[in-house]
Amino acid sequence: MANIGITTTVPVEIILAAGNVPVDLNNVFITDKEANRLVEGAEDAGYPRNICGWIKGLYSVVVERGNIDTVLAVTQGDCSNTHALMETLQLVGVETIPFAYPFDRDYDLLKLQMDKLITALKTDWEQVMAVKKRLDGVRSKIAEMDRLTWQENLVSGWDNHVFQVSCSDFNGNVNEFEQDIDQFLLKTKSANEFTEDIRLGYIGVPPIFNDLYGHFEKMGARVVFNEVQRQFAMPYQVEDLVEQYRLYTYPYGVFQRIEDIKGEIEKRNLDGIVHYVQSFCFRQIEDMIFREKLDIPILTIEGDKPGKLDARTKLRMDSFLEMLR
Amino acid sequence: MFCGIDLGSRSVKLVIMDQEGVKRSEIFETVQFYRNYGQPGENGLIVDFASVGVGKFDKVVATGYGRNTINIVGATVIAELKAHMIGAMWQTGLTDFTLLDLGGQDSKVIKVRKGKMVDFATNDKCAASTGRYLENMATVLGISLAELSSYKENPVELSATCAIFGESELIGRIVEGYSVPELAAGVNYTIFKRIKPMLHSLSSEVIVFTGGVALGKAIGQTISSELGVEVVVPKYPQLNGAIGCGVYSWEKRG
Repeated sequence: MANIGITTTVPVEIILAAGNVPVDLNNVFITDKEANRLVEGAEDAGYPRNICGWIKGLYSVVVERGNIDTVLAVTQGDCSNTHALMETLQLVGVETIPFAYPFDRDYDLLKLQMDKLITALKTDWEQVMAVKKRLDGVRSKIAEMDRLTWQENLVSGWDNHVFQVSCSDFNGNVNEFEQDIDQFLLKTKSANEFTEDIRLGYIGVPPIFNDLYGHFEKMGARVVFNEVQRQFAMPYQVEDLVEQYRLYTYPYGVFQRIEDIKGEIEKRNLDGIVHYVQSFCFRQIEDMIFREKLDIPILTIEGDKPGKLDARTKLRMDSFLEMLR
Repeated sequence: MFCGIDLGSRSVKLVIMDQEGVKRSEIFETVQFYRNYGQPGENGLIVDFASVGVGKFDKVVATGYGRNTINIVGATVIAELKAHMIGAMWQTGLTDFTLLDLGGQDSKVIKVRKGKMVDFATNDKCAASTGRYLENMATVLGISLAELSSYKENPVELSATCAIFGESELIGRIVEGYSVPELAAGVNYTIFKRIKPMLHSLSSEVIVFTGGVALGKAIGQTISSELGVEVVVPKYPQLNGAIGCGVYSWEKRG
């Protein structure tokens, strides 16, 4: 049983079917008490200052925390910095496996990638599909939690974020994760309804700030749609596993994401969208496409290092809510 | 009588006004203001208005960069962009325009339609398009800010990716033998280049230009000629946020 570090959401069924433990390096990094120090550690090793904070955090998690056996790195469909992340990890002797989502969502190419991963991790499709069935049950509970967020107004934006973002690796233990969501759903049934006057959608990669959701709620607004996090939770329940990872919008072009977002804006009755972008990330460029294609007020927030929101960003968030009112 | 305060990053602007107009105004350096008239209290900053010496007033409304971190005891605090929008509407009588406010560390662009904010953009993570950049450049050139902001002909090409590195770039151009007016015009033009994308995406036929940077003529004229828009600089560009606060106090009363 090996700890397989992942750089973003991958077909986790394959890792689990092979009897390994998936570890989403992003989640380890951002929940680390010394997340900022991890970024500095990578800079000390030679990572440039003007490179994404997440990549630096991921590097240090693998190098400094020392319990990752192999890194499964997504080299297409997430972030091209991952190429250099892999190379710098190889430089210090870490074993890496590449995985690529085909840009054009080609079924055969994606299946080939999954076949190769199955071979690399020494498992087979039968075991992989058995895990998929197991995960379908857990994912439907996450989907229910998401419904309780926007339809019944019983779940905070932060809880919605945390549960869905954790579906990339199920915190390394599917059974424990399922118990957590079961308990949460039970508790939520008797929770007080949220009564905020502004409903927000959050699009883009998960925030590097830890108080973004709380700040919105303090100001009388709530995030009731977490776009990419919901995608990590695989909201489209289909029989075919290759198809499941084709429907997953995040690793492909922006336009399919926009179709998904448009549908959810309507369904969840959103007043505005917050587009989070990471400093130095290519996805900052895509902001102009969202602004062109989405007919809803958009606030773009940029984050660099882990920690709390800075005063400027808070000021912009407050002004945005003021504008929506 | 009402008091409006705009706590900026570089200066604190204070106006005493009523519906008829601005009766008094003061501009303090931010650090001096806090040091001389402020005192931390349990519920926020206590400002010693008697020492400020602006006379009596019925109500205080405040805004500014300190909004998230500083609460003035006894004052209503409103969002900065809102204060600026209200100030610009009151000063110009316009309801459809794009407000461009260039202050000490901030650039703000607000699109206003029918008296409501419909979109906005602000600088983030970088102050290369703000008054602070102009101040640094004026110091390097050895001229006043007022003089610097009057030049617009034959601008020297400057990249100004950074308000700090801009200094060494400017010094390099001085060595190459360019004249002060050409260098100053180049500095003003880099400000225009920086704000142009924001003005493009939030465009209007009329740009209301406020903030300390609007006191100089060159940048407003460049915006007008390059973008083909009318640029309106109100009577008190630097006091605009404070005036917005003053106006808010009676608008909310009635």
